[in-house]
Amino acid sequence: MRHYIGSLVLASFCAVFLSLSGVPAQAAVFHPETYTLANGMQVVIVKNRLSAAVAQMVWIKTGAADDPAGHSGLAHYLEHMMFKGTATLPTGGFSALIAAQGGEENAFTTHDTTAYHEVIAADRLGLVMALEADRLHALRFAPDEAKSELAVVMSERQERTDNEPQGIFWEKMAAALYGAHPYGRPVIGWQNEIASITPDDARAFYRQAYAPDNAILVVSGNVETQDVLRLASGTFGRLASAGDVAPRKVKPLRFAPASPKPQKVEMHDPRVTQPIWVRQILLPQVKADSRLSFALDVLSEILSSGEVGLLHRHFVMEKQTASAMAASYDSVRRGPVSFSLTAVPAPQADPHKLEKEIDVYLQALAKRGFSAAEIGAAQRRLEDAAIFARDRLMAPAQILGEALAVGQTMSSVEDWPDHIRAVTPADVSIALRTLLASPHAVTGLLAPAKGASE
Amino acid sequence: MKKIILCAACALFLFPAIAQAATPKVTEVTSRSGIKAWLVEDHTLPLISLRFAFRGGVEFDPADKQGLAVLATSLLTQGAGPYDDKAFQDRLSSRSIQMEIGASRDEISGEVKTLTREKKEAFRLLALALTRPRFDQEAFDRAVRQQLTAQKMQKAKADWQGRYALYRAVFGEHPYGYRSLGTPQSVAQITREEAKAFIHDHMAKDRLMVAVVGAITPKEVSDALDSTFGGLPAQGAVDTLAPVVWPKETASILVKREGTQTDIHFALPMLRRDDPDWYAAEIANYILGGGGFISRLMKQVRAQEGLTYGISTGLAPMDKGSMLAGSLSADNDKAGKAWAMVRDVWQGFYDGGVSEAEVQAAKDYLTGALPLSLTSTDALASVLLAMQQEKLGKDYLDTRKASLEAVTLADVQRVIVAWFDPAQLSVSFVGEPEAVSITETHNMILE
Repeated sequence: MRHYIGSLVLASFCAVFLSLSGVPAQAAVFHPETYTLANGMQVVIVKNRLSAAVAQMVWIKTGAADDPAGHSGLAHYLEHMMFKGTATLPTGGFSALIAAQGGEENAFTTHDTTAYHEVIAADRLGLVMALEADRLHALRFAPDEAKSELAVVMSERQERTDNEPQGIFWEKMAAALYGAHPYGRPVIGWQNEIASITPDDARAFYRQAYAPDNAILVVSGNVETQDVLRLASGTFGRLASAGDVAPRKVKPLRFAPASPKPQKVEMHDPRVTQPIWVRQILLPQVKADSRLSFALDVLSEILSSGEVGLLHRHFVMEKQTASAMAASYDSVRRGPVSFSLTAVPAPQADPHKLEKEIDVYLQALAKRGFSAAEIGAAQRRLEDAAIFARDRLMAPAQILGEALAVGQTMSSVEDWPDHIRAVTPADVSIALRTLLASPHAVTGLLAPAKGASE
Repeated sequence: MKKIILCAACALFLFPAIAQAATPKVTEVTSRSGIKAWLVEDHTLPLISLRFAFRGGVEFDPADKQGLAVLATSLLTQGAGPYDDKAFQDRLSSRSIQMEIGASRDEISGEVKTLTREKKEAFRLLALALTRPRFDQEAFDRAVRQQLTAQKMQKAKADWQGRYALYRAVFGEHPYGYRSLGTPQSVAQITREEAKAFIHDHMAKDRLMVAVVGAITPKEVSDALDSTFGGLPAQGAVDTLAPVVWPKETASILVKREGTQTDIHFALPMLRRDDPDWYAAEIANYILGGGGFISRLMKQVRAQEGLTYGISTGLAPMDKGSMLAGSLSADNDKAGKAWAMVRDVWQGFYDGGVSEAEVQAAKDYLTGALPLSLTSTDALASVLLAMQQEKLGKDYLDTRKASLEAVTLADVQRVIVAWFDPAQLSVSFVGEPEAVSITETHNMILE
């Protein structure tokens, strides 16, 4: 509201700090109920009495990683087309009907999934269910709309990627880290491949992926179970399944490059004014629900919990060679789990020198190990964070929906705090050593043009 | 159109019998020493969110000390009372207390969000931050370094360049055109004593507003108000800042930036939040560019022509003069065409006005969307605080609907004629746009 302009100034800077709070969930915190419709569509309900609103998410267990070779960007383009007309609803009708009821709608595509979401007054849940079910089976691909939407997507790519040095940098990082693995291609696609997408390509992808047994419905809000189930049966329940009432299996994305070794990406651009240093590490051998994975969650918390994280304390407060540092761990994926470190060098600090200092610091940390007090404090913060997560209407729909859509179980979310509590100092030391030993690592530096005055 | 109606009808048929929850009940709590807060008591979760604001923020930066408000407020949580920066942050973190304080154009504001089990310590630490901040040299030097880094990161963004160039042009030397993070030179001039004095002068009880939401009783709020804010000065420095005067000539500014796209930012002056026509302006803005996928600008420039990924406009109520601002991005070779189309759509809106159906659709959305802004304790606290900032009544959550419903088509037309003239638009382009006409070229080399 009021912060329209004033709050923008710190947003980019804060992102480094905020990105590390993660999305934890505590045992029996969300109290989800799950059901499966006769056509194989999974329904998850979380009751939230904080407001009069409801959030609906429909997760498709298919994403950009499933784009056919040479057709990168197809899943994302289809997501755009889902806002166009259907057999019974003209283009614009979907958004207009939701807006007329004070609701909001949007969608996003990742490598692993495609998700559609609405937030609306809880007594209007039936409307958004009817509309989502409608476009899940009766999407129209009018040639003129398909063409103009292709232009929109190409413009989106220009705006978000090609026009920003950071956009190009992240694509280079991903290409170096993943090589031929589907994560090595951008979700939005390569511009020349987006240009070649036809309505027939999108229709074929739609028919194959947008089926009830490949989708998950999550409803979070001020609702009653019987209402949600009655409405879901009358809308999503009418969609024809592919013939198999057991939900389709998620396709895992295995990662096994021939001869892995750590790589570097260094990019200089005159538009960059402040260097950013990043390291991304893959651990293909680590299973998401393993003891080692939970230890990596705790490690990430110890390293980068706001202003008490070890990295902030060492590099920002003591050495004064960085202005911000962060670590994050992502295990909710169909592909290999990934750990990343980010540093924003302090004014006048040499990023290459900072990189060496980070390496030395992490090696020393692996040697010294972790105290029970350090681990205990991190565990307690993670458990508390789960209570805060319940204070967000969308949180359960996002967290539970994503976990299920990448093939993880409900208990991977609901029992997560128990697993976190069981992590020992020795586990965290092993996690750090595993991280440092991984050959699947890319270190990147995005910096101003060489020779540019600082 | 008939099909829409049919579908809407069948959807209506599906509505469950869920009773619409009433809007949250807002009460005013006055502490023994006379400090007021607006409260929504809700024991659903074991959480409390307390938000506060002091009128006046970045606008009080001296011209040669830009960045002062942001720097000074960032130091409040970097050591206070008996605790240095590390000890203070350790205490917050070990109890999972979230505390943030910062400054924006018109205010200094902050939040503490805590589990109920830690409420005593949360309020105690907030009191220390507000009334006994230390401004230790080491923490001060670090905050300066971080602010210099933030300046550099900000400066690289096309989006920020576009806004800054536009606001400099329309606000001129008025502090609304200042850089909230300052420049390397301006921040280098700021001393610890000045930061301390800024806090003392501008964080005073006569300009304080407080909102509390969560598992807390009025009695507890009353006690917390005295213990947390009671130690602040009674009165702050007088606000002598003049209202904004927009230049007679509109600006059209080019900031050259290498790349494939042009960022386009535009703005014109808008009526004040306390103007009786405010709700008509909300409706007009919704129809033109505020209404997401269904606004006139979005439909034409994105959906019909595919010239942009997105375009939106918004009303920005500000203390010293409101504005309507918006933005879009387009490929360099289409930037001129995209901007011409924005102006065309706008001119049609201004000349031809809007229909009864459009006004009704806007009312339907704007009245129906209220629950969406109240979905967490801190979101609700933000709304309660904004209601005080905008001098709305405690019953605003209940009266907003009627205020919007009372707006007539004629009201909207009148506001469009008075406030939405496209001839008043100032614009900035950041990129290498083709076919745009400009009055001024900035080579954005900022220190």
